[in-house]
Amino acid sequence: MNPNLMSRRQLLQLSGLSGIGLLLNGCRSADFAEGVGNAIDPLNQRVEEMLLRPQALAIEYPISSIEPQALIVNPKKTSPIINPDTFKLIIDGVVNQPMQLSMSDLQKIPLQSMVIRHVCVEGWAAIVQWGGVRLRDLIALAQPQVSARYVYFTSGDGYYESWDMPSALHPQTLLAYQMNGQPLPVDNGAPLRLAAPIKLGYKQSKWVTRVTIMNQLPSKKGYWEDQGYEWFAGL
Amino acid sequence: MATPKKSPPINHQKLIVKLFHGTIIVSLILMIGSGLQIYNATPVFGGKDGWHFPKFLTLGHWLAGGRDWHFAMMWLYSFNLLVYGIYILLTKRWKKRFVSGSDVQVLKTGQNPKRKAYAWHRLIYTGIIPILILSIASGLAMYKPVQLAWLAGLFGNWQTLRTIHFITVPISLLFMTAHVLMNLKVGGIKIVRSMFV
Repeated sequence: MNPNLMSRRQLLQLSGLSGIGLLLNGCRSADFAEGVGNAIDPLNQRVEEMLLRPQALAIEYPISSIEPQALIVNPKKTSPIINPDTFKLIIDGVVNQPMQLSMSDLQKIPLQSMVIRHVCVEGWAAIVQWGGVRLRDLIALAQPQVSARYVYFTSGDGYYESWDMPSALHPQTLLAYQMNGQPLPVDNGAPLRLAAPIKLGYKQSKWVTRVTIMNQLPSKKGYWEDQGYEWFAGL
Repeated sequence: MATPKKSPPINHQKLIVKLFHGTIIVSLILMIGSGLQIYNATPVFGGKDGWHFPKFLTLGHWLAGGRDWHFAMMWLYSFNLLVYGIYILLTKRWKKRFVSGSDVQVLKTGQNPKRKAYAWHRLIYTGIIPILILSIASGLAMYKPVQLAWLAGLFGNWQTLRTIHFITVPISLLFMTAHVLMNLKVGGIKIVRSMFV
């Protein structure tokens, strides 16, 4: 056996092993993950936008398959109390017809109901019934300008979110005031919250007080997104 | 220097095959590390109160970091396998280098223990491939369960889907351990080395 060949092989083996070791040690820091995420996110977002079928309905389930216990209220902190009698939903931004709608105004719009799977970024899922108004009907009432590309949601607890317009206009994207056949509970976002089968749970803001149509995303894109979670978060 | 005992020649691997093989190992390690991080956010078994994997096995520091790694490495992991699959088809490698009818025959009726071990060896490393494909299919189904509803539908409900995706980890680790042991049995350290350098 050629001793030179052996030493070259051993060197290659050693360098390969230490390379993996270095890589794994580097991965330990959170910053490394952030860098990896930032590098891949533009590609992943493009793919998610391509995969989204804006008019295709997600599977709806029979009422009997609702799993009330599976829907976890997360994170467990005090819920803001919003008086539904004086509450007014503000719709503004790049629209021709900014408006304020009371709960009774919203309840005059025909109720949309759906039983869908709610999927949390943490890996759990629950079959839930949501009832409310289609966001796209509200957006249409406000008459968005042609430059409108994003929808920004402000919540009563300081939470904030932003969505791409095609997802916001999806026929199963609701502003819900009903859950599992009952009025929406405060802990689940009463009086009004986002509900949609096409986005992860953290996109579905509770206690929504204001819907702002935008043509550009602000630097603060969303409560969890600004801490490192992915923005598009389509399902 | 004593003349080494005559042993059968080792089939040297092409560089491209070594690259495919090495990329599978590295990307799979990163997929498993980040996958366990995601698992820990809500364990598949037992939910939030279930048993969690120790932190040193996980990658990405927290859930968002684990997801960053997982959904970056999925490209490397799946495209490496895809290109490897195309390579196998184009070079007709699948005819000679994977488990075949004759191996099955040997396993059933063969008398030569060396030939039998070799047939086992080929069966095991061929068996890894469908497991890796299952991990990608179940992963995609969980990543986009609405847009890829046709795929998600194949896996039943959410808990079944999560369980199948998770189970591909211990199964692929089991197959890989068996693969290394069979390698050593069939060709010793020389055959292992031939796949890397």
